[in-house]
Formats: sequence, structure tokens, C-alpha cells
Amino acid sequence: MGPEAAGQRLDLPESLRTPALITGTVTAGSLDDQVLRYPEGVPARKWFVAIGVSLSAMLLGLVLIGYTFFQGIGAWGNNSPVFWAFGIINFVFWVGIGHAGTLISAILFIFRKRWRTAIARFAEAMTIFAVICAAIFPLIHVGRPWLGFWLIPYPNQRGVWTNFRSPLLWDVFAVSTYFLVSLMFWYLGLVPDLASLRDRAGSRRRRAIYAILCLGWRGSATHWKHFEKAYLLLAGLATGLVLSVHSVVSFDFATSIVPGWHMTIFPPYFVVGAIFAGFAMVLMVLIVARETMGLKNLITGFHLEVMNKVILGMSCLMGYAYAVEGFSAWYSMNPVLHHTFMNYISGRYGWAGWLTIWCNVLMPQLLWFRRCRRGYPWMVLVAVGVTVGMWFERFVIIVVSLYQDYLPSSWHFYAPTLVDYGILLGSFGIFFTLVLAFARVLPVIATSELKADLPGSQPGHGGSHG
Amino acid sequence: MAEVFGVLGLFESADALLAAIPGLRARNLGRLEAYTPYPVHGLERALGQRRSPVGGMVLVMGILGALTALAFQWWVSAVDYPLVTGGKAAGSWQAFVPIMFEITVLSATFTAGLGMLLLLNRLPFFNHPVLHSRAIRGITRDRFALAVEAEGAFDPEAASAALAASGAREIEVLPAPGRGEPLTARSILDVLAGIAGACLVAGFLAYWVVKLAPVLPPVSHMLDQPRLDPQRPSAFFRDGRGMRPPVPGTVARGCLPIRLASPEAAALLVNPLPRTPEVLARGRAEFEVRCAVCHGVLGNGIPTLSAAYGAKPANLMTPAMRQTPDGTIYGVIVLGKNAMPSYAADLPEADRWAVIHYLRALQRAQNARDEDLP
Repeated sequence: MGPEAAGQRLDLPESLRTPALITGTVTAGSLDDQVLRYPEGVPARKWFVAIGVSLSAMLLGLVLIGYTFFQGIGAWGNNSPVFWAFGIINFVFWVGIGHAGTLISAILFIFRKRWRTAIARFAEAMTIFAVICAAIFPLIHVGRPWLGFWLIPYPNQRGVWTNFRSPLLWDVFAVSTYFLVSLMFWYLGLVPDLASLRDRAGSRRRRAIYAILCLGWRGSATHWKHFEKAYLLLAGLATGLVLSVHSVVSFDFATSIVPGWHMTIFPPYFVVGAIFAGFAMVLMVLIVARETMGLKNLITGFHLEVMNKVILGMSCLMGYAYAVEGFSAWYSMNPVLHHTFMNYISGRYGWAGWLTIWCNVLMPQLLWFRRCRRGYPWMVLVAVGVTVGMWFERFVIIVVSLYQDYLPSSWHFYAPTLVDYGILLGSFGIFFTLVLAFARVLPVIATSELKADLPGSQPGHGGSHG
Repeated sequence: MAEVFGVLGLFESADALLAAIPGLRARNLGRLEAYTPYPVHGLERALGQRRSPVGGMVLVMGILGALTALAFQWWVSAVDYPLVTGGKAAGSWQAFVPIMFEITVLSATFTAGLGMLLLLNRLPFFNHPVLHSRAIRGITRDRFALAVEAEGAFDPEAASAALAASGAREIEVLPAPGRGEPLTARSILDVLAGIAGACLVAGFLAYWVVKLAPVLPPVSHMLDQPRLDPQRPSAFFRDGRGMRPPVPGTVARGCLPIRLASPEAAALLVNPLPRTPEVLARGRAEFEVRCAVCHGVLGNGIPTLSAAYGAKPANLMTPAMRQTPDGTIYGVIVLGKNAMPSYAADLPEADRWAVIHYLRALQRAQNARDEDLP
């Protein structure tokens, strides 16, 4: 906090000062009253409408997943050679969405970016829900999900061990580690807030539930001492995960010899794409949350603007990655790779390639303008575009690379079925159902962390924390 | 005197709390502990607490996790279940790095999170005296509490006075928790019982569903797919048969036909097989399966299936039969004779000659001379 405090004391012009992260007067008590009333109150009508819609989508997805189990993977559009289609596209898409939460809660925490505090809880929750959505797809894609436990290396009757050299097994470890670490990080941050909820609770039952969930947290100096150290360490550990998880996901592709997949740029390219898509999703959800939950004083225009800047930066990196893909194809002098790359932008799915470039590289350039970084219509347009564009990016990488590879005799065009689309819609239903449920039963803002950051909350600093 | 846990007073700000600590520490009335809604900088130093050991724990467990993951993967891939993938050596460690990393992070994370909550902070602890104080509602909201906790000879009166003198308000004396009843809050037990009950019901439901599941038609599309079973009719082919007859002139493996115009032509053939114990054993096996039913195990025409057929099987031990050339017997096996059908389909080429070798051995054994004895 030292340099910031010093910076505040300098007589900087208005435009160079750190903008206020909170507007209006917020005290520790008023913060509790503002944030914690949602878990305590009865939801508004529009919440019921929203969760009704998302539950319907979820139900549709679950029914179609059941149909897939009954009918077999033939219910999907997958064919030979496009064995990996929606199942893996949606997996990569959802794992990517999760990355924004980890970046916000871990990397920005280490860099002491104070604007992360207000949005971290929501982003972390979205990470967990996105990984849940992601984990569904490989499991249903194997066709016999009840044998999913074969992925766990344990001494078994079958006398077979897992293959530790397979990137698919690395993926199992990477994604499950990611889920458990995110869950631990999220829960740890929740513990003090759950204690606040416990002590505000009106009824005995509610009090007991929160008492168990917060394990009897009492906020002693000893508690906080260990807590702060552990939280910092967790942030450090999760930082490695931000970079590793999507790298490992990209190994699924990069370690194969499929033209268009076998590239060294894949790990960083995937990580950037993941953060990019995740920020867009977090931005959209935050806009809805701050409008409907009255959180405009805590999640300010400044927060949205900073997130838009991250999106802009990531968009430029995506443009670079696409350019490198094209360059690699040309420079390799490999006719097969050349053909695959040309297929991305010109073949029967050429439109998907151009849609990707339009949504991920060109449209986010709007965010160079302050008006667009601050104005809802523009930023929503960009965020929706990025979400669509990132989904199609994975579509292009997976489907277009596969449907025409080395062996022209096995080329086969791919078209998804209605079941594919339904399950994709269902995964959005699962995600938003979980997000809506979270917004009702748990504090959506890390109140105890934000209290520590309020002006005058720390001894000796006076008002310098504003 | 009733057992006392300590005395607790509230402050309005973190500054007031920190200002009160040095004076109280100097008076040494008991163990000082602060309770705050959020981490207050400099509090642990003011209270003279030691640094948290979480860092060391995480380092040790992280290293242990890494080594365990490496050793386990190496043992599985190189020792217990060597699997050659991509032409790499079974113990090539580079491929184990991703999972090593994940396990390191996992073990370090759980050490940091659960170690902090469960080991260092000794949670869950639902019956701590502070949780039953009036002040706790303020502590988790926006108030700051300082407690003088009983240690050795403790004087609650003196501690209360000292807290009041340092600016604390709403001072309360906290009774020590009753022994032998760790969970007094009945509602907590209610909730736990509820969770246990829900688990039980869910378990029974799952058991019931699993038991019921076999009644439902299983996923059997592999079985149900359109296909032609052997020996079944099919409308697909003009002749109405599912199976295709072989193309004329097709030769089965090992059944290269020897065109035998007549038994006379067959008589000229010579047994191509050497007389080795293996060939004789093969011949014996085939003889006992194919020939012995009619010609008898000894080849003397006394069948094992007594009077099954009207015909009288030939005695193969007669002097005439012993003079018959190999080729003639071969011809009979292939072409059949009288009531005996052709065995060409049952005995492949090599087996026919092996049977003939065995038959010669039988004939010699049945008519052994003195010189044959060892």
C-alpha cells in the first residue's frame, strides 16, 4: 500500500489520480447491510423469471444428455474423422470461461490491483460453475460415463494402470486440480463472510446453517494472521494454475500430429483466449448484477472500464496468435498445413473463421474509445461478440482441422445435430442456474476483504485508502 | 468463583484498538487477543504474536507432493506396468511433469487451506465463549474487540477495569465453556442430523435406482444394428440367402485338392510325411476321433459304436490290408468306399497321411514278431 499512499500525497492532476473504487459513503456496517441483505431476503419476481428460464434450458440439456446415453454418441453430429466436435468445443469453451475468475482472484491479488476486490467473489464463483459445465462434456463424450472412474489411477481388478504419458490424462488432473483449488480459494474467502451472515441471522435454523458453513469463525487476530498468509499462498498457487490449465488443455491438441493442431504457439494462445473469453463473460454477468442488485456504488464504471481494457489487450494478443498461425502455415512450406489454414478462412466453414476474426480481433478494437469502454451498449456488444467468437474459434480449430486432414479418402464434412445445439444450450442453463442460485444464497461481494480496503479502515493510514 | 474464560471489551475503530494494546500488554493481566471484522495491519506485531507457519507447511507439503507424484508415475510407467508410448523409454520423466505440477499445487493448496482452518485455527469450534458473547454481532460487522483471556491467576475485576481505562466499552465477562458438552447449540445438531438423514435417503434412492436399472432396456444398439446372421434368409440377395456361397473354385486354407481320378491313380501316391513321434501322435488323435468309431480303436473292425450301422466295417489288420499301398488307403479316405463316406472334408491333407502312418504302426503292433521286442 506504500507507493499508492505516496502517490496520493503527491499533488497529481485529477486525470492521473487513482479513481475511487467506491462511490458515495460506504462503511463496514453499511456494506454488510447492502450486500448481505440478498441472502437474507426474498428474491424479486425477475429473479424467479430468470431462474425459470435458465432451469428450462438446463432441463432441456439434461433430457438431451439422457437421450445421448440411451441412443449413443450417434445422436450427435460426430463422424469419422470429426470424432471431436461439440463435446470438446464446449469443454474448451467452458474451461476457458473459468480462467477470468482465477486471474482476477489470484494474479491481480498478487499484483495488489485493488479493483479486483469488489468483483473477485463473483468471478471466482463463475470459475467454479464454468468448470462444472466443462467437466460434463468429456464425461458424456466418452459415451459410457459410468466408467469415468477408469481415469483415476488406483490399483484395480482390471490390472491396468492409466497412461501417464497421455495428454488426455494430464487434462483430467489439470481440470480436477483446477476445480478443487478454485473451490478451496472461493470457500476460504467466504468463511469470514459466512460468519457475518451467521451473526446477522434472525432464525435459529439459518444461524445454524451458516455456523456450520463458517466452521465457527470468530475473527480473532490469530485467525486472521493465518488466514491472510494462507490466502496469499493460495493466490500464488492459483497463479500457476491460470497459466497451466489451459496450456494442458492445449496439449490435447498440440501433442497430436493433426495439421493445424501441432503448433508450439498453442499453450499461450489458449491461455490468452481463455482469459479473453472469461473476462467477457464476467463483464456481462457483472453488468446484470450491478444493475439488478443495486451494486453500482461498489462495482463502478471504473471497474467495467478496467475490465474492458483487459479485454482489449487480450484481443490484440489473439490477433497476434491468429497471425502467427497463418505465418507458421506459410513458413512451414507444408502443403497439408497450408491447406488446413486456407480451410479456416475459405473452405465450406470459411465463414466461421472470418466470424472468429471479426468478433475476437476487429470488434473489440472499439474499446480503444473511452465512450465504448464506459457505455453499456458498446461493451455488451463486444462482450457478446467475444463469447460467440471464442466459441467459434474452438469450432474452427477442432472441426475444420479434422474434417480434412492428411488422408483425402477419409475426408468427411461435419454438421451438428439438434441434440448438439440443445446440450450446448443446456450447459448455459446449468451455468446461469448456478450463478443465480449463488447470487441468492451467498454474499456476491467479498465483504470482509472489501472492509479492509475501505477508507480509514486500517490504522495509521488516515484517509489515504480512498 | 465461577470459571471465567476472559473479559472482552469493544472499540469503535482499528486505531483505538491498536492504541489500547501496549498499555494492557504491559500490565500482564492475561493473554491478550483481538477480534476484528477484517485483518487489521500491524495487529499481530502489536499483540506480540509469532509469524504464521503456513508458509513452511505449504513448502514441505508441496515438495512432498511433487516427489510423490514423480515416484508414483515412474513406478507405474516403468516398473509395474511398462507401456511404450511414442517410442520413449519407459521411465522418461519429462512426460510426468504436468501431473507432477498439478499434484504439487493440489497438495500445497489443501495444506494452506485446510491446514490453516483445521490445524492452526482449530476449527470447527462451535462453542467458543466469544461466539456466545453479545459482542460477536459487532465483531463480524464493524466493531473491534479486545479480550483479556484467563491465564494462571486471573482477576476479572482488574481486567475489566484495565479495559475500561484503555477506552473499551460494553465490557463483558465471558464464562468458560462447560466441559463435556462440546456442541451445546441444539440447532447445529438438528442440521447435522438433517444432513445425515438426507444422505441416508439419497443413498437408499440411489440403491433403488441401481437395482431397478436392469429392468429398463439397456443401451443395446450394438446388438440391434441391422446385420445378417449366419444361415438366415435375406431379401437383399436374389437367391434369398443371407450367406454367400463361395465363388466357384474357391479353395479353403490347407485344403488344396488333389484330383483323384480313380482309386487306381491314388495307389501311386507316396506318403510325404516323415515318421516322427509328432506325426504319429497327430495320426493317433485323428484316427481315434474319425476312424475308431467304425474300425475300432485297434483298427480290427470291432466298432466302438456297436452295431450302429447296418454295414460291417472293414478289419484293417488283415494281411491283405497290410499289403495295400499307402496311396490306396489315401484314396479310400478321400473318395470313400462302400458304406464309408468321403472324409476329405474332415481330414485335411496332412492329417490323412498322419493317420495312415499311425495305421501302419497299429498294424505292426498287432502283428508283432519276436524280433520287434526290445
